Amino acid sequence: MKIRLFVIIGALSLLAFLLLSDLADGDWGRFGGGLSNLVVFFTESMWPPDWSVLQPRTYPACESTVDITCSIGYIGMVETLKIAFVSTILGFLGAILLSPLAARNLQSIWISIPVRIFLSAVRSLPSLIWAILFVIVIGFGPLSGVLAMTFYTVGYLGKLQYETFEGMNSGPIEAGRAMGLSSRAIATNIVIPENSNHLLSQLIFMFEYNVRHGTVIGIVGAGGIGYYITNYLKFLQYEKVFALLILIFVVVIIIDLISFFARSFVNEQGDVRRPTWMNLLLKKTGEKSPADAAK
Amino acid sequence: MEDTLLSISNLVIGYDEPLSDPITLTVGPGEIVAVLGPSGIGKTTLLRTVANLVMPLGGRSELHVEPAGGLGYIPQNLGLVRHATVAHNVALGAGVRMKWSFGMYAERRERVMEALAAVGMDHKASEPVRRLSGGQKRRVATARTLAQQPQLILADEFLSELDDSNATAVMEAVFPLLTKGSSLIMVEHHEGHALKYATRIWELLDGRFSDLSVEAWKERQQGGETE
Repeated sequence: MKIRLFVIIGALSLLAFLLLSDLADGDWGRFGGGLSNLVVFFTESMWPPDWSVLQPRTYPACESTVDITCSIGYIGMVETLKIAFVSTILGFLGAILLSPLAARNLQSIWISIPVRIFLSAVRSLPSLIWAILFVIVIGFGPLSGVLAMTFYTVGYLGKLQYETFEGMNSGPIEAGRAMGLSSRAIATNIVIPENSNHLLSQLIFMFEYNVRHGTVIGIVGAGGIGYYITNYLKFLQYEKVFALLILIFVVVIIIDLISFFARSFVNEQGDVRRPTWMNLLLKKTGEKSPADAAK
Repeated sequence: MEDTLLSISNLVIGYDEPLSDPITLTVGPGEIVAVLGPSGIGKTTLLRTVANLVMPLGGRSELHVEPAGGLGYIPQNLGLVRHATVAHNVALGAGVRMKWSFGMYAERRERVMEALAAVGMDHKASEPVRRLSGGQKRRVATARTLAQQPQLILADEFLSELDDSNATAVMEAVFPLLTKGSSLIMVEHHEGHALKYATRIWELLDGRFSDLSVEAWKERQQGGETE
């Protein structure tokens, strides 16, 4: 079994290597040149990051008591987070209505196949193309970004959800079907609660994805931090671009930590209550520390 | 209540190949049927075919119960929603036969707590199922069926992980339902449990199906041992 697995992985790796060679026209020297160019570009143009993006901008004048809230980095990031949040929630609502209809273990093929085709069609356009379409239709600004990412979220999240539903243990569905529950009741009372752990994880992943993609759709004028990144790129201010990229990276890490924390409420990991450093250090009044208790 | 809850005629069970010769029988109200036989012989497939979850290879299996809530099914893995609470799981059974009204929720809650109390799990109502032990999960699955009050219960090894006292407690909880005319068909590995409660035995052995009274099955076993 192991040998067969190694053979399959080896064959796929060889195929990928041959295709890469074909795409690079056999000119492997370009990879070496590209790496040295990257080092030069990073050390001479991007480093050190210019943190002036977190200082209050000169125009319009800052009226807030907290300076950072008037900075390009803060304004852009908050707008990106708003776009990502609204589009993730709206997209999730659309996806959760459609995905139970697309799951083969919940619906007949006469319903599931058309819904799958619809989700594929929505997903086949990347959020950037949706953004261009909405910028043309309703103009520049965050609203175009929200609509673009909502559509993409419905398609992407819908597929993740129906694949999760199809992969679930059939026992609860069979018990529900045998007892005479309707398809809607099975979806809302059995399938969605049973997969809540995965759905929550996918929701937060999609939010993180939309935060990252919020930077891309800004390039076509659909709002967010991408708008400022594009401006800095145009004027070759790579140090500021790098600072904004670090900001996005930090936000993505924070979202990942929130995801880890939120998921612990709906999985087995969260059931194992271990004392945290926070609990040990900030003990409640009248409560003994472990050291005191041992005395 | 109907005189016949289940009628099977020339039923051939299996997925690709037949697992037994054609089966013909009926099940009436108040019967407790134990399905016995070695592992992999087709006991679960028979139960799933009766529950209309698997298409038969031939013949017919007809349920004469109400379409919504008339049949209760406890699969081998119990079919509980692991990430939902105990009360949510039992409410699925309690709500299936209820028509919507403003008072429905209070009535459903009452029925859920009654069913949980009957199996001694009312103190765990708000606990997620995933945190329960195997035996507690079996009791929750039983409570779900009790709250549903089906006419026919199909249970796949729902007593097998329980010790004698817990198995007795679960069966005592189910008995009031059976005395009202419901029937139970249970697949059992634990012959002791099966013989203690069953009124009838279905045995699957080497592709042959036998429908016997408990006494006839015991005699056949004794005969087999002496040969």
